[in-house]
Amino acid sequence: MVSGSLRAGRSRSSAQIWLAVCAALACVLIFLGRVQPTLFDRARAYASDRVAPVLEAIRTPLRGAEQWGGSLAEVFRVYQVNLKLKDENARLRKWQNLALSLDQRLKRYQLLLNAVPDPEIGSVTAHVIGRASRPFLNTMIVDAGRRQLIKPGEAVVDDRGMIGRIFVAGDHTSWVILLTDLNSRIPVSIQPGNVQAMLTGDNSGAPLLVVSAQGARLRYGQQVVTSGDGALLPAGLAVGKVYWDGTDFRAALFADAGRSDDVRVLDLTLRAEKPPTLTARDLPVTAAGLPPLKQTPPAKPAPTLPQPQTQPEPTAQATAVAASPPARRDQECDANCLMRRELSGVALDPHIRRLGQTPMSQQPPPAPPDQTSPDDQ
Amino acid sequence: MYDSYGGSFARFFATLLPFGMAIIGSLLANFPISFTDGFLPAPLFGLMPVYYFGLMRPDLMPVWTALLAGAFEDLLSGGAPGVWAMAFVACYLFADRQRDTLAGLASFGAIAGFAAALMVAVTTAFALVAVYYWRLPHVAPVAATLAANVLWYIPALWLMNKTQRQLVGPLRGDF
Repeated sequence: MVSGSLRAGRSRSSAQIWLAVCAALACVLIFLGRVQPTLFDRARAYASDRVAPVLEAIRTPLRGAEQWGGSLAEVFRVYQVNLKLKDENARLRKWQNLALSLDQRLKRYQLLLNAVPDPEIGSVTAHVIGRASRPFLNTMIVDAGRRQLIKPGEAVVDDRGMIGRIFVAGDHTSWVILLTDLNSRIPVSIQPGNVQAMLTGDNSGAPLLVVSAQGARLRYGQQVVTSGDGALLPAGLAVGKVYWDGTDFRAALFADAGRSDDVRVLDLTLRAEKPPTLTARDLPVTAAGLPPLKQTPPAKPAPTLPQPQTQPEPTAQATAVAASPPARRDQECDANCLMRRELSGVALDPHIRRLGQTPMSQQPPPAPPDQTSPDDQ
Repeated sequence: MYDSYGGSFARFFATLLPFGMAIIGSLLANFPISFTDGFLPAPLFGLMPVYYFGLMRPDLMPVWTALLAGAFEDLLSGGAPGVWAMAFVACYLFADRQRDTLAGLASFGAIAGFAAALMVAVTTAFALVAVYYWRLPHVAPVAATLAANVLWYIPALWLMNKTQRQLVGPLRGDF
């Protein structure tokens, strides 16, 4: 009886130890995840690469069923939808013409102003092969990866606006973190007014707008676009519209990640900003209508007479200044070097100031040489 | 001899079954296909065997298997590492502490017991995520997760009961 209770107590205490050890291991895992966020990313990318064919195989009949079910409901209101689409198409054509003419005008202005060209944006179209909706996570898997030159951080958009950005890129698949996800934070600009804000996901359907400027006022219906700050995302991508939910300003997203089957992954390639090369026309002389100056060969320096080394000459300073950088470096001297030179009796260059010596700029001007100029003669 | 080998294999299979069910549950739950267009979050299928067999057969579902199942859930879910591992361990701890009360519950009581354990797990995950990202997550998806899990536990309980009776068997200490 006693031995039985002892055994039970011992097993109970070992179970307690195991519980404590496992809780500690879980804490270590959390800590590792915090200091090394990409801890599981490689494994995730590998897993999604391996199951991608299975996901596509399952997704295809599901998508078919969804479309079939959706079209069954649409059949009953196809006439109204058709009329609405025609009306919308006519309106959009008008806007398309306006957009094209404004685009041309913008290009002309950029040409006139010699503006730095916009960054090139390449894109890869990918199919959505999976969506995961978890209590603390909203992600999506697309069937394009590093082989298609997709990199983490790139923006993912559908035909309506931005959906999210890539956070893990495998060989053939990539994980997209949606704008609504708890981890998502992207810099946005609110138009008109160019109010800078941070779009912060909190796992609700509409991400929060955290305005960075004090006193900035937002209004219902203002447009939210990406600001391009940090050069990670292209500027001007449509995101959503501002609305007030009673406590906070939020963005009602244009894109619907739940219904997007094909998305584009944008590759923002920033070109190095180079100033335009100067031509003869850019010279002020030419601009004033005068002929440009002809380049003349540099005048040969006048031969200098050999001077005794003990007397520092004013020409030595000019030589030191005009010397090439390596020569100049040779002539610069630290405290030890000065000491060595003084001990060895080498004359110091006049641009080198001894410790305690008055700077040359504060020294009184040297007495004029005892000679007259040729003009005076 | 054949029977002996067959019997030992069956026993070995039965021993692995609870942990295997947790792993398969995590795989199923994290299959990135949403049948409700993201309206309902995926249930924590991996947690259900951890809770159930942690109560019924703690010898086959020790705490380290709960930790492994949670880490596997973390790996597949794409979230912060360690969050679900800790949540699963917390759920196991709750079940371990309240074993005498929870193991005797039947039908609705069993579901209420799981709901309580689930609440412990989700609250732990919620707190960890809040500390991890230093802001409070939205509560609505968490509430939806609780609801979805409790609903899914009803068929899962039937399946686990069947598995335990026909394949795994009761704990030897019960005899």
